[in-house]
Amino acid sequence: MLQVVERPSASPVFGNGEKANRLRSTKFGGRLVNDYWDSLFRAKEEGKKVIWYNGTYIPPFFHAHDVAWVHGEAWSAYLAAKHGELPAQKAGEQRGYDRELCSYARTHIGQALIDLDKLKDGTLGIDADDPRAETMRKLPPPDMIINAYPYCSSGQQWDDITYRLFGKKVPMFTVQIPLLWGGRPDAGYLRGEEWNERSTYVTNQLIEMTKFMEEHTGRKYDFDRLSEVMGYVKKAAQLRIEAMDLCTATPSPASFFDWIVSIAPVNFLPGDQNLVTYFEGVKAEIQDRIANGEGAVKDEKYRLFFDGMMNWNKVGWLADKFAAVNACVVAGRYTHMSFWQEPELIDLKSPVRGMAQNYLICPNNHGAPIMIGEIEKICDKFGVDGMIMHASRTCRGMSNSQFLIAESAKRNGRQALFFEGDVADESFYKDELLNTRLEAMIESMDAQRRAA
Amino acid sequence: MEAVLSLLEEVAAQPLDYARRWKQETGKRVIGLFPMHFPGELAHAAGALPIIIQEDDKPITVGQSNVFNFYCGYNRSVIDQALRGEFEVLDAILFGDHCVQLLGTADVIRANVPEMPILFNQLCSTLDASWAMSETQGTFRQLWRELEALVGRPIGEDEVRASIRLFNRNRGLMRRLYDMRRRGQIALTARQMQAIVKSSMVMDKTQHTALLEKLIAQAENRPRRDVVRVFLSGHMCHAPKPAILDLVEECGGIVVDDDLYTGYRYIFADIDEAGPPVDAFSNWYLTRNRQVPCPTRAMKGMDWEDYLLNAVGKADAQGMIILMVKFCEPHMYFYPEIKEAFERNGVPLLMLETEHEEMPLEALKTRIETFMEIAKRRAVAA
Repeated sequence: MLQVVERPSASPVFGNGEKANRLRSTKFGGRLVNDYWDSLFRAKEEGKKVIWYNGTYIPPFFHAHDVAWVHGEAWSAYLAAKHGELPAQKAGEQRGYDRELCSYARTHIGQALIDLDKLKDGTLGIDADDPRAETMRKLPPPDMIINAYPYCSSGQQWDDITYRLFGKKVPMFTVQIPLLWGGRPDAGYLRGEEWNERSTYVTNQLIEMTKFMEEHTGRKYDFDRLSEVMGYVKKAAQLRIEAMDLCTATPSPASFFDWIVSIAPVNFLPGDQNLVTYFEGVKAEIQDRIANGEGAVKDEKYRLFFDGMMNWNKVGWLADKFAAVNACVVAGRYTHMSFWQEPELIDLKSPVRGMAQNYLICPNNHGAPIMIGEIEKICDKFGVDGMIMHASRTCRGMSNSQFLIAESAKRNGRQALFFEGDVADESFYKDELLNTRLEAMIESMDAQRRAA
Repeated sequence: MEAVLSLLEEVAAQPLDYARRWKQETGKRVIGLFPMHFPGELAHAAGALPIIIQEDDKPITVGQSNVFNFYCGYNRSVIDQALRGEFEVLDAILFGDHCVQLLGTADVIRANVPEMPILFNQLCSTLDASWAMSETQGTFRQLWRELEALVGRPIGEDEVRASIRLFNRNRGLMRRLYDMRRRGQIALTARQMQAIVKSSMVMDKTQHTALLEKLIAQAENRPRRDVVRVFLSGHMCHAPKPAILDLVEECGGIVVDDDLYTGYRYIFADIDEAGPPVDAFSNWYLTRNRQVPCPTRAMKGMDWEDYLLNAVGKADAQGMIILMVKFCEPHMYFYPEIKEAFERNGVPLLMLETEHEEMPLEALKTRIETFMEIAKRRAVAA
């Protein structure tokens, strides 16, 4: 997920009215994202096969094989950015998909339902000449479907439905990325028998996935090309982590929200020099800010950790809300633990196993003890005072274990607040509840400091 | 018949009480299993009483501190029971399912009941993958090893085969009851049928099997009544509340068949008694979907709606009631296709969303009565 939905900023009556000081260098990412979608919309004209996929960041496999790819979550976000998510969700609801289902899935499935005939009929409540309809019509249908979801069972079922919507005719491949439960005596982060077994299991499936692509494109898979693509991805991932680490500085030069808008490059954009250029730019701006003592938030007083999936309808809104109480959200589970987080595992001569291992360590895919241990390390490293727990209503993969995370935070002397929202369904978000809870949290942190 | 049914209903109503008594009497281990596709035979062969962990009927109280209210009633209830200390009787929990909510529940139990061993190895959910067999065999082998470590002794293949035979016998007798119910050869209410299956998920299999044999021997034909023959579908992890089942029958229906987990879904498939048990478990697991499709498993060529239409026809049912557990994502994904297929085929369908908390039965009654009227009219018109 990577596209930002620009909506009105936080209410001026909240806090001191300050806005987030967002990185300027991330604007380059917006251009890359638009280029990606434009190129995707031309894919069929250019004779490319199109893969619809969901789950983890497997596009380097597609890029290396010269096929186009559509990430379902990103497409849902794209529609949201164009204010097109509501008709898509409505189309899903009209067919009977319950609103408690994953809202990414509802948006994606709903969009698939919006075909030209139905638009012409006007049965979906959206005119054929509506610009939103035009956007929806551009998406090329799949020649292949690939599912590769760590942890989340809902993700697999979502693609089953996509497969069925297209008449059960599109070839489909599922990569199973099993949970690292961590129950065996030698279990730990990146170690133990289970880790080794699962790494081999996912590696083998990814190799099978390349054979599946060979079969349906009629072309041999080029692993040298994969190494080349991964060279850019690895370099970009290293730069990203270096830039993130610079944000241990006070004030923090960038915030969680800057990292949120930087997810696209490491999630689904093509692995080329642009990725490297993007993170070089981000890192350079962060270094400049440190040199100038410039923070992502004016007069930073509190440092927070954001837990849970992003509320994509509220990126700018939330960035300003925290800035308005002088709180910098310095890190998050989704941004700081989820994308190419261990680039050194990738051996460019033979990258598949390292890629599999990065997919396996999606934080949710660890049992809670190991995942929470890693969260604690990040909180210590970034000097976090409190935790913002976004209970994303339809994303159970992320809301699982949040009470345990909050408990761990409290044990470590950190405040924690919960607010309810969702990934792509704005109706679950209640602004006033967050306002009240955030004010109370700020007061508690002040009291804690006075008492210290 | 009544005496046997009363005993089974008592166990079904208070499964953990039964487990406590059994443990006290035998001094042996009790091992909890999570649904949905998991064999109890291995734990039985290890000398333990395997029980499928059930939702209970208590309101969620202390559990609220560890689970959101937008999780299904089964998961919220299990967490609540764990935090209330109800699982003290369990010596371990075993499971292999990948339901994202259940994985979260297991972690909450691990954190709050740290002395409880939880043996989890995720089963392959892509049943038609080329590697599915070898992966599933590996998973069962791993579970076998972990179970041996837990009980401190090897578990022999012959012991496992003996457990498989016993479980097959038990399932076979319940399938016979299902067949008799379809044919009207036994007067069993939906509540009673649920008690039969639910108690089998909990009781000592030898004891339960003996009771089933007695029940079949005492079977009485169901008197013919002018009622609507109903098929029940859904509730893939736990039992629907008996009050809803009663309501269906009070409103002029008779449940003749189902694909409920605490129903036919639990008993439809036997495990091979002859071959190596790991292979037998793996075959059983990987071929289940071909018999009764489950929306949590990926398998091309299987359509739940086609299965249901066929099953409704075979049972000579006049309509189907879907019992959908609120917040059950797999069911929510597949419901629209089922609805459309039933509409296309003119088979009356009613969907009821169920919750852990008390439900407005009067409002449900009106909907069920309307459904019965529609089903009757369609039957007359046909």
